Amino acid sequence: MGLKISIDATKCMGSGNCLFWAPGAFELGDDDVAVVVDVNAATERQIMQAVDGCPTQAISVTKD
Amino acid sequence: MGRTGHELAHDSGFNNFDYRVAGDVRDPYPELAEARINTPVLAADQMAVDQNAPGSFVVFRHEDVARVLRDSEVFSSTILGDVMGEVMGHKIILAMDEPEHRRHRSLVSTAFRQSSLARWEERLVTNVVDDLIDKFVDEGKAELVIDFTFPFPTQVVAGVLGLPREDYLDFQRWAVAIITANAEWERGLKASSELKDYLANILDQRRTEPRDDLISDLAVASLDGEQLDDESIFSFLRLMLPAGVETTFRSSGNLLYLLLTHPDQLVAVRDDRSLMPQAIEEALRLEPPLLITTRVATKDIEMHGVHIPKGSSVTPMLGAANHDPDQYPDPDRFDIFRDPKQHMSFGTGPHMCIGMHLARMETRVAVNRLLDRLPNLRFDPEAFERDDPHIHGQIFRSPTSLPVIWG
Repeated sequence: MGLKISIDATKCMGSGNCLFWAPGAFELGDDDVAVVVDVNAATERQIMQAVDGCPTQAISVTKD
Repeated sequence: MGRTGHELAHDSGFNNFDYRVAGDVRDPYPELAEARINTPVLAADQMAVDQNAPGSFVVFRHEDVARVLRDSEVFSSTILGDVMGEVMGHKIILAMDEPEHRRHRSLVSTAFRQSSLARWEERLVTNVVDDLIDKFVDEGKAELVIDFTFPFPTQVVAGVLGLPREDYLDFQRWAVAIITANAEWERGLKASSELKDYLANILDQRRTEPRDDLISDLAVASLDGEQLDDESIFSFLRLMLPAGVETTFRSSGNLLYLLLTHPDQLVAVRDDRSLMPQAIEEALRLEPPLLITTRVATKDIEMHGVHIPKGSSVTPMLGAANHDPDQYPDPDRFDIFRDPKQHMSFGTGPHMCIGMHLARMETRVAVNRLLDRLPNLRFDPEAFERDDPHIHGQIFRSPTSLPVIWG
């Protein structure tokens, strides 16, 4: 079972908090918008902490 | 340099961000818990005759605090300019709304990214922290508020800004005077103006010869070809004092206090440093350095049946949200092993603390170095008995003292 993460670029403010909660899974692009780089680098729990910690609720997760 | 924290402390009242500002309260949490249950939206001035006149409201529940901080259209930050503008400057991003806020923030945000901060960890923070520890390491005992948690964040911020080391003590005096301006207004205004002159000089130098520091970053920062004007730069730099110095002074003290009063958890962190980030977050949750912020309602709204007229101040009680049992089971317990969950101490929404990665990094380095260099660090039982050290304050909170021994 894998996680599908999507980031709403119009909401993302580039706080970088997702990089803190789920190290390795996210990075900030030059435009200050977070991108998913490796969904497997963090645990599901860490990903959910990143979702919860996002200040603008820009991250959503679905399971396939 | 060469002067100890104690000498500086005895100088002239520049040794603390005193309780006239912080509020004289030992444990606000029982009262906050009662408010969270019984008056989730509290009208702070209930005597007002006209129900439609703007008033002052406080919200306590996690969900409501999050809503106020996230919905910046309904809950505007401009009110913070009324409170802080005169001392901090009138172009502080803290008091801006969208879209102006986002534009200004993006001009400075790169410097505060986790990746940008890595360079400061080795080069600056470790040195600052080790120099401070050098001064007391042979004594076998220290009072860590005066000797450590008070001086280290000022020196880190001075270093990040790129100020010469010999100016750190001046910077510390200005920082304290500006931060405590509410208690000593004239002193605060004077320091604010002196600091601006001082920084103007440095800014000029960096414009001609940029270096690897934050003032240089700000001097050349541009968005769509537009540069930050001087007033915006000075406002931002002065905002670094309350936002970057005082908060970390208090939060690092709170973390140390909580670890020292929970020796089993102190040992766990000492023996497994990978636990440090969650210890930092748990201390921030349980004992936030700053318990409130403020917004102003841009239209009439209802919350929990309470009518909030347009123009009212709405204060999210961050400390109450962090102890909301709906979010954090057994919320009053310090437990670094709890399932970590974002707290409100950095806020949330578009104004979430831009310095949170710096705060996390410098606190991690500071406490790691203390644990590395002061074996068997513990409270001094005699001083503990005599001084009754405890975390104190109503708006700002930090320990009254941290008398420790080691070895």
